[in-house]
Amino acid sequence: MPLLGSFCLLFALALALCSFVTGILAARRQDAKGIRLGEIARRAGMASFFAVSGGALALTWAALNNDFSVAYIYHHTNKVLPIPYKIAALWSGQEGSLLFWAWLLAGYGFVLRFRHKVDRKLTAMASIIIAGIQIFFLLIVNFAANPFGIMDTIPTDGAGLNQLLQYPEMVIHPPMLYLGYVGFSVPFAFALGALILRYPGEKWIHITRRWTMVTWLFLTCGIALGSHWAYAVLGWGGYWGWDPVENASLFPWLSGTAFLHSVMMQEKRGMMKIWNVWLIFITFMLTIVGTLLTRSGIISSVHAFAQSSIGEWFWWFLVVVLVVCSYVFFKQRDHLKPENTMESLVSRESSFLFNNLLLLGACFTILCGTFFPILSEWVRGYKINVGPPFYNKVFIPVGLILLFLTAIGPLLAWRKTSMGSIIRNFRVPAILSLLTAIGLIVKGVRPLHDTAQFFSWLTLTMAMMISATIASEFIRGGRVLQGKLGGTIFGGMYHLTRRNTRRYGGYIVHFGVAVLVIGIAGTAFNLEEEQPMALHAKLQVGRYTLVNQSTTQDDTPRYESEAALLDVYKDGQYMGQLAPELRTYKPNDQPDHIVANHSTLQEDLYVVYEGRDSEGSPVIKAHVNRLVAWVWIGVWIVILGTGVALVPNAAQIKSPVTVAEVLSAKQFQPAGVGK
Amino acid sequence: MMKKIAQVTVMAVALILLTGADNSDAARYQKVGSKIMCTCSCGQMLLQCNHVGCPNSGPMVRQLQANIQKFSSDEDVLKWFRDNWGVTAVVEPASHGFELLAWLMPPGALALGFGVIVLVVRNWKRRLVAVGMAGVPIDPQIEAFRSQARRETEI
Repeated sequence: MPLLGSFCLLFALALALCSFVTGILAARRQDAKGIRLGEIARRAGMASFFAVSGGALALTWAALNNDFSVAYIYHHTNKVLPIPYKIAALWSGQEGSLLFWAWLLAGYGFVLRFRHKVDRKLTAMASIIIAGIQIFFLLIVNFAANPFGIMDTIPTDGAGLNQLLQYPEMVIHPPMLYLGYVGFSVPFAFALGALILRYPGEKWIHITRRWTMVTWLFLTCGIALGSHWAYAVLGWGGYWGWDPVENASLFPWLSGTAFLHSVMMQEKRGMMKIWNVWLIFITFMLTIVGTLLTRSGIISSVHAFAQSSIGEWFWWFLVVVLVVCSYVFFKQRDHLKPENTMESLVSRESSFLFNNLLLLGACFTILCGTFFPILSEWVRGYKINVGPPFYNKVFIPVGLILLFLTAIGPLLAWRKTSMGSIIRNFRVPAILSLLTAIGLIVKGVRPLHDTAQFFSWLTLTMAMMISATIASEFIRGGRVLQGKLGGTIFGGMYHLTRRNTRRYGGYIVHFGVAVLVIGIAGTAFNLEEEQPMALHAKLQVGRYTLVNQSTTQDDTPRYESEAALLDVYKDGQYMGQLAPELRTYKPNDQPDHIVANHSTLQEDLYVVYEGRDSEGSPVIKAHVNRLVAWVWIGVWIVILGTGVALVPNAAQIKSPVTVAEVLSAKQFQPAGVGK
Repeated sequence: MMKKIAQVTVMAVALILLTGADNSDAARYQKVGSKIMCTCSCGQMLLQCNHVGCPNSGPMVRQLQANIQKFSSDEDVLKWFRDNWGVTAVVEPASHGFELLAWLMPPGALALGFGVIVLVVRNWKRRLVAVGMAGVPIDPQIEAFRSQARRETEI
């Protein structure tokens, strides 16, 4: 099987090379032979997917059948590993995850080439670029990080999978993240292809709109799953630690979000063409930077794979991509002249422009923090660590301004918005957010007490402002359609959403972000207590009292475990039991916390079994984490909103309207019509 | 008017931030402790390290408590940790020397970007005026047709 796997990967490389070379030859010819060559390139590209699939299947087969003659299988599995984790072993190590990456890329390439009728010429060029990226990854898995390396002697059992990865979410978190990372190759390929071909109009944007949104959605899900995994498994009580590899997933997410916004300006007004092209180039390069961070070991992280020379491959690939993009851009830049210019700083266009500035500013901030240890090592000779305090100080103000823009953006019209219109439409959201700010102080939030509470108070106020703006947009539009079609206002809102799914789906995404930041704002009010708990000992944290009723031990083929059985009381009222656990996985004697969490909308009671103290009493750490559930609800709303935005618009119902009717109906128009 | 509102807002925010400072030892302990990392290679912040039997976090926490009493300046406490536990123990760059660069780069880039946007928009507006597209009186009938087009294509 390893031999078959190796052959499949070599064959896939040959097919990708064939697709690349014949694709270029076809692009240079305009005759019948060129068409035939193009078809060969397309089919070779599609066949490469089956060849890489063969390699991935061979490795999975080896994992399922405990073939420890394969070094990768020996290092990442063992006999007692459950089947889902054996399958997940494909992306649990360096070589396997690169093979998985190559397989996903081949999969995206397959779909792209299969759907070539969308635009044969542009798809053919995008296919060449995808083949080029495929060649890079296939060269790596064939010659630098081959997953089918053979052991000198065949061990009887494997070393096992990292215990932190033996968690259900970890089975789906990496594939989601990789689908997001790899997916940006497609809009990148179309953008570069369109620029090479000097393609007229915004067709590449129309073709890649759904690709980009789906990719962005995968990346969002991947980041959210990773956060939830960190919260549930790492046992430190938080879901985001500003770890370099966590940061790496934010780079393309932030620039991709900026792209999704700014691309609307090109579609609607023919503006920002250079910006958009570079934004997607940068987003693709940032996915490679993210991979470089994880693979090379240049920055220490709990997520990173071991130090390896593979980083050099990625550096060189980045250089090649940058050179190609720059060359094509400078050669074809006259093709990217804007059709319109901005007329006012108070307009939808400028709000997108500032939104892009802030998103990229946030991305740059994280990039600075992540690479500062390397920079300081070059300049000063030692690493200066940059951790959460830095990111919190620099990122929060940028995030707050972004939230403010999210709140007012929908109220701004294209081209120019009068101050009167802003005041008229912003009145209700402003009053509601002011009431929220006062209400929070009445409820006990003390913005003057410390900086964390101040930022939290501001964030909650902004979240209300965003929600109120979005609600007013839905109500205003719903009323217009209610008047036109009859029925209820909710029916009107439904039709409104169906007719412009992208705009209203986008608003739902914004609402999801507002809910998510409510959850983040809760961090300022977290509590924690830690103490050894002998039998019947009590631990008080906030309004909760924990009483140790018993401790248990267990021994399974995979791990030994200790757990405490704790009675939980809130304000003296019995609520149930929690059983935090500490597992020690056998092959490596590595500990892993199984957190006991009681989650409500208001707060999580998050209890960690830390081990035993010198006297043998279990040490329990209890956190009261405020509003965490809102983070996960917010993510679900973001997913829902993106799903809505992906649905095609319903057909418009046309009805003749006189100018007089239009003028009289103008006061009922949703603000910022035209998004 | 807008300038005055902006000035008042900036002053109010500065006032809130300055008056919000809590200098009690407990607050300083939390504040300084949140800038120090446990050096046992667990990758966690000192006050969050939950390794039972961790060889470093216990002594480091005790030293933090002692140094909060000993030094009146937070910067001196952090310097003590840098000197005794290595530069990687502190995860917040200092606000002077080379490390200041880490603090300056993000706002610098944002300010630069903001400036570029304002310049570009001004340039565009000037060009519009130059070619006579701006300042043209709005024809109410054309505006009404525009509104109709927007209404029918957007909602």
